[in-house]
Amino acid sequence: MNIIRKKTWQINENEVTPKELFEKRRNFIKLGAASIISSGAVMQALAKEDFPKITLDFIKDKNINNLKLNTFEQITSHNNFYEFTTKQSAVKDIAHTLNTDNWKVTIDGLVENPMEVDLDDLVKMFTLEERIYRFRCVEGWSMVVPWNGFSLSSLVKKVKPLSNAKYIRFETLVDENSFPDQKRGRFGVINYPYIEGLRIDEAMNELSFLATGLYGDIMPKQNGAPIRLVVPWKYGFKSIKSIVKISFVEHEPMNTWQKENPREYGFYANVNPQVDHPRWSQNKERVLGSFLKQKTLMFNGYENEVASLYSGMDLKKYF
Amino acid sequence: MKRFFIYVLALLPLVYLLVRLFILDDVNDPIKYIYTITGASATVIIFFSIIISMIKNRINLMKYRKEIGLLGFFYTLLHLLNFVILDAELDFDFVIKETLDKPFIYLGMFAFIIILFMAITSTKMLYRKYNKYHKFVYLSLILITIHWIMAQKAISILQFIYILSILVIGYYKLLQQIVKNNRA
Repeated sequence: MNIIRKKTWQINENEVTPKELFEKRRNFIKLGAASIISSGAVMQALAKEDFPKITLDFIKDKNINNLKLNTFEQITSHNNFYEFTTKQSAVKDIAHTLNTDNWKVTIDGLVENPMEVDLDDLVKMFTLEERIYRFRCVEGWSMVVPWNGFSLSSLVKKVKPLSNAKYIRFETLVDENSFPDQKRGRFGVINYPYIEGLRIDEAMNELSFLATGLYGDIMPKQNGAPIRLVVPWKYGFKSIKSIVKISFVEHEPMNTWQKENPREYGFYANVNPQVDHPRWSQNKERVLGSFLKQKTLMFNGYENEVASLYSGMDLKKYF
Repeated sequence: MKRFFIYVLALLPLVYLLVRLFILDDVNDPIKYIYTITGASATVIIFFSIIISMIKNRINLMKYRKEIGLLGFFYTLLHLLNFVILDAELDFDFVIKETLDKPFIYLGMFAFIIILFMAITSTKMLYRKYNKYHKFVYLSLILITIHWIMAQKAISILQFIYILSILVIGYYKLLQQIVKNNRA
């Protein structure tokens, strides 16, 4: 008998509300409420809730932990993307300047198969999946996002790192025409390009993911189009957006926030309710759309999958 | 009439906040948003309260200075209640621990105590006795500004402009004081 062992982050198919039904239910509730207070015109407007059409083919995530998805609206209107602005709610309105046409990704450094490849060709090399992940920002807010993309490990295997490649360094696009804050030069909020990094074993973990879409459609610009990293057990700033370069290197790369403020941000940035940020507690989190807070979980709830990566490490020191 | 305008203007941010939170229902991170609106309103109103004596020859609002100050206190109180009720969920151990532990929070708390003291001693009787201590408003404004800067992950150019305008006001205020002292 062939027994398929479920990953802990997967749930049974029958526990998942199909997206279409989920949307209808949301609209139904909204319409119910609206009918009490308003006219037909308002109801019509509400009925046209802006969910994207599902345009991608992918293997569905079974959502074994029964995570409650944040709405498309919430996920796409609350973004930390300093290349545009520090105002989270304003990114969506100005992100249209990001030019993703003919996007190329360079993979270089200590690999057998370096390449410079069109994004479309890169995506075609892999099987698209859906991953429903918790996303926890270092600032204390969180959400649940249904990402689409492929596992980072599948890309690593394809390019075949050399034995001395110990880390992967990621880099975001630099383009003044795409990103207004990059035009400001020294008056920009942070130094560009935005850099992030992972240890190779972290990158090979089954959770590490390169996302090219969410909610079944291509990645919205404000969420880091056309391709971004997602490492759900780390604070959100590790999940670098709009990637143009992936380099395999020997030494630990200096990531952007560590460089900006080494007292407050480290290389690892693992979600850890026991290790406070110097300015605020990390013990709880504000789920987007809610007045109530919830407890933050060790490694953002992915302890079983990733704790072994850090056995023997002092997580207060390597924060 | 002036009083009516002052109240409308001062309560506009609160109305806006409530509309966004409960009618439009489009705020993603409500607790943070309440911090932002109440904090910014308190800061602006309290800063304005120290400008009143500077502009009295053009617009005389000296009669309303106390009320304006109290409106600033009102937003400060909402800001603190947001911390205690929504953010800390009435966990007083947590409130005390965070206040002692995090500079960002104890600076804010210290500023709150100063403003609370001024609000309590704003009655006619107590004001006569304590008005000389109301100069502490300047200390509270310095603390508020540090508290506000510390709350940011990074400072944008707009925020620099804000800080700059604070410095300009502070400079003129100081200049005014020096002129006044020389006359005396």
